[in-house]
Amino acid sequence: MSIVEVKELRKQYDPPKGVLAVDGVSFDIAEGEIFSLLGPNGAGKSTTISMLSCLLRPTGGDATVAGHSVVSNAQAVKETIGVVPQDIALYPDMSARENLVFWGRMYGLSGDTLKQRVDEVLELITLVDRQKDRIEKFSGGMKRRVNIGVALLHKPRVLYLDEPTVGIDPQSRRSILDGILALRDQGMTILYTTHYMAEAQELSDRIGIVDQGKMIALGTHEELVKIVGQAARVTARVDHSLEAMAERWREVAGVAQVTIEEDEAVLLTDDANEVLPRLFEAAAAAGSRITEIDVREPNLEMVFLHLTGRALRE
Amino acid sequence: MKLAAVLARKDLLQTVRDKLSFIFILVMPLAFTLFFGLLFGAGSSVDQLPLAVWDADGGAAATQLVAALEESPVVRVVVKEGNEFETWMADERAAAGLLVPEGYSAAMAAGERADLTLVSIQGSSGAATVASEVRTLAGEQVTVELASRVAAEVVWSTRSMPAGAQEEVVADAAAQARPIVAQALASPAVSTDVVEAGVAAGQIPSGFVLSSPGMLVNFILFSLLTAGIALIVERQNGTLQRLMTTRLRRWQLIGGKAAGMFLLTFVQQVLLIAVAQIFFGVDYLRDPAALLLMMVSLSLVASTLGLLLASVLKSEQALIATTVLVSMGISALSGAWFPLEVTGAAFQSVGHLLPTAWILDGLRGIVVRGFDVADVLPALGVSVAWAAAFFALAVWRFRLSD
Amino acid sequence: MMKILAIAWKDLRSTARNVPALVMMLAAPLALAALLGFAFGGGGGFDIAATKVVVANLDGGGAGAGQTAGAAIQTVLTGEGLEDVLETSTRSSAAAARQAVDDGEAAVAVIVPEDFSAVVYGGDPAARSQVEIYENPTREIGGSIVEGVVGQVLADINGARAAAAGAVALAAAGSDPIDPRVLAARAAEQFSHDGGVSAGLQIGQRAPRVGATEEEVSVTGLILAGMMVFFMFFGAANVARTILTEDRDGTLPRLFTTPTRHGTIIGGKFVSTFLTVLAQAIVLLVAGRLIFGIQWGPLDAVVLLTVVTAGVAGGLALLVIAFTRNAAQAGAIGAGVYLVLALLGGNFTGTAQTGTTYAFIQRFTPNGWLLHGWDTAMRGGGAADLRWQLLVPLGFAVAFFFFAVLRMRRRFA
Repeated sequence: MSIVEVKELRKQYDPPKGVLAVDGVSFDIAEGEIFSLLGPNGAGKSTTISMLSCLLRPTGGDATVAGHSVVSNAQAVKETIGVVPQDIALYPDMSARENLVFWGRMYGLSGDTLKQRVDEVLELITLVDRQKDRIEKFSGGMKRRVNIGVALLHKPRVLYLDEPTVGIDPQSRRSILDGILALRDQGMTILYTTHYMAEAQELSDRIGIVDQGKMIALGTHEELVKIVGQAARVTARVDHSLEAMAERWREVAGVAQVTIEEDEAVLLTDDANEVLPRLFEAAAAAGSRITEIDVREPNLEMVFLHLTGRALRE
Repeated sequence: MKLAAVLARKDLLQTVRDKLSFIFILVMPLAFTLFFGLLFGAGSSVDQLPLAVWDADGGAAATQLVAALEESPVVRVVVKEGNEFETWMADERAAAGLLVPEGYSAAMAAGERADLTLVSIQGSSGAATVASEVRTLAGEQVTVELASRVAAEVVWSTRSMPAGAQEEVVADAAAQARPIVAQALASPAVSTDVVEAGVAAGQIPSGFVLSSPGMLVNFILFSLLTAGIALIVERQNGTLQRLMTTRLRRWQLIGGKAAGMFLLTFVQQVLLIAVAQIFFGVDYLRDPAALLLMMVSLSLVASTLGLLLASVLKSEQALIATTVLVSMGISALSGAWFPLEVTGAAFQSVGHLLPTAWILDGLRGIVVRGFDVADVLPALGVSVAWAAAFFALAVWRFRLSD
Repeated sequence: MMKILAIAWKDLRSTARNVPALVMMLAAPLALAALLGFAFGGGGGFDIAATKVVVANLDGGGAGAGQTAGAAIQTVLTGEGLEDVLETSTRSSAAAARQAVDDGEAAVAVIVPEDFSAVVYGGDPAARSQVEIYENPTREIGGSIVEGVVGQVLADINGARAAAAGAVALAAAGSDPIDPRVLAARAAEQFSHDGGVSAGLQIGQRAPRVGATEEEVSVTGLILAGMMVFFMFFGAANVARTILTEDRDGTLPRLFTTPTRHGTIIGGKFVSTFLTVLAQAIVLLVAGRLIFGIQWGPLDAVVLLTVVTAGVAGGLALLVIAFTRNAAQAGAIGAGVYLVLALLGGNFTGTAQTGTTYAFIQRFTPNGWLLHGWDTAMRGGGAADLRWQLLVPLGFAVAFFFFAVLRMRRRFA
């Protein structure tokens, strides 16, 4: 059962001539799954999330959240979702608790429920001790936690997180990622955008790769890496006669393909572990020395490179 | 020195590129000089002040007084009676109201004291002008009546009075004497000759002449806002700290900033003074050397004060609040809004603790009274002393980051 | 409704914690009112510092008179009742007197010519004499006081001479056997004895009648009203500007992701803007009452005026916000707009220009009407007396709100 269904979503700024930021994106998110949108900066991730948050009106297509259209029933959508914006969106001159209470009211909470939920969220983001301090006195990581906490107050069925780990220290990042996994385990559906491949790989049940406004690949991590094939990629340099060496390696058992790119040989193989010793043996037999060797197991980076011809991170 | 100059140039460039600063620094002060000039100067001599008149007497003398007022170039008579008169006054639609009570003409004819009531708001300069006109015209009327009556009484005191007809004969004689008395008063033997000291021949100080220096000082102080904000923004976005990582020395940085503000306010003054000189007929150039000294004084005071405010205050908002308050306070205290003359003695002495009060006296002296360099030297001295104090404080308190 | 109040409460609390905002909203108007009140002698009347006057009495005396006419002028200038207004000293020559003015030691010099008494007391009807009043043109007020005082003395002299001329003419017409010179002297003396012009005319002054009373208003009250209205513009702007800062900081877009309607969010901002200036006005009114002892007027008028003033300030601030791109721009443009309105509407000049073109211009600004309303209330006018002073600004406020809402709906829809 899909809780989020996105159909041919399009967004063009200042039509008809403006930038086509999102160009016919479609995907579904199942209840209880973590779905990541992965792509470089400017790929259209934030625009997509803005449309799914009813902040931007789509130029074309539609999306439903828990069966409600973001175009025609924004109010119902907003009651279902919690949004964690990319930048800290809190009131710096108010305390953590005051912020939570205020935002709770905005989500329609009041009275004892509000108080109880604020206490629970403070517990969750481990800021009970600092709840009376103003946000402006907090460290970056603490601000991030409150920023997320605000979106959890009304127990949303779907949580959107727009690049929540940009520019913070590894420790805070770890605690945020663990928190997200814990929320998923409680049954929350999560839509996550990032341009960090490793994060997407670690967190996601499924990943959509976007580039230049289009969804260029979609699936589980395993499904995606299959796009570039099973092959691991080995690049090697030798001290002399690369051409002759490449000819010999082509004969080695387990090597599927050998090409020469500039001054290195690129080999594709199903099992790098098995093949590598044989490559050294062959080189030694030919009187060459391997000066540099690099093995890459298939990953999302390679998928992106494969699909677009460009690296994920510029 | 060269580095400081480069910095000052950059600051000026940024200001010129900012359309809003341009409006603040040039367009608004010109608009206001024009507005207040028209209002208080040209305006008041062309405009007749509306005077609501309620003649509750209706007698000969009352009618004559109203007729005299209608002839007056100063007031414009609007006849209103009863409630309408009171409503007009309550709505402040007339500069003042004149109530001629019942019995005015009778009292005057009998040689007794005649009463008039002026209805006005305290402190209104329009009302003061009207009151003085009413006093003059009614005074002339009363003088004619009194003098004619005195003439008649004195003459009859030497004659034998017909019994029972005393009042009639005196009144008749007074009527007879009235044309002679009126004629005598029309060309009085003694009069005053008012000479305005230092005013160029044939020139009457216009409203612009009095409003222009005040507006100049007011808006030069206001422009501290733009310059100060620029410094605070630089501190917030870290370029100020970055500047210190270059070869620039601290004194060069502060000096450059102050020089930028000095140049900005000086250019602003040149433009405002040029427009006032060319279009509003304010003769700032009567003594160019003295004028230059006053301009330098004003820019020194303004730039060092701006530097001090921006050094001490942290946020944009704090600076806006303080600058508006400080510049308005200083303007008011130094007499940029109204001449210090109209204020109490204590206020005047407080005002003259400020360099701007001295500068204003100097500027007004130049345009109205033909002050020369020697006359403005005290103002220069006071300004330099204050500027030095502001600068020292600013350097001491100058911070590179929040 | 609860959400609107939550937004308003948040903004109010935020303002209360913002020291610069408080300075601008509360301290600035009180300080300026105190300063200007001090300038004009506070309380009831205007207090003007004494004008320095120098007199050079060169009068050589006239035929037979014991006291010279020039001495009379000097006596009046140094006389009772004027010592608070004029500070008079003497100089021995016309040049010295003029020099005193040129040097700034005195504002006005009065120079009585040598032939003065001779002309006044002499028999020649064609003789003329002029008293020179040499004044510093930048000291208009002192000059006009001296002109008035000297003018009165001269008017009495001229009156006496006219009475004498009249008496002589009457006697001649009746062929009375009396020496015209004796008669003239007697008439002149009689005229002066009766007290001159001032005895024949009294001009009283009173304030306009509002309601049933004719109250004079305290100067500080008028000034504080002007400052209050002016700084309420800034107070409202501070809150309204948070719409733009919240947009920049991302909290406004985030609010739009919550199940709170856009109308409610913008409405909350409107309410907090209005409530903030209302609170500001109340604090200022109470402070004015307690610190300066200002009588603001009948309660109904004060309540309605306060609400309408807050409405105008709030509406204007929101209008400025609706048409500006970012907070910095709104701050600068707002300050300009408020300053222009304040100068046009008379926030700094009060009712000093009653009845002139300026007063006419004031009617085109909402603050001009409001100031007039406060003025009327302080004179004792109730709500019924200031109908238009309430309705016109209310109209302005409604128009401001209307256009602000119209624009914001398009921007933040």
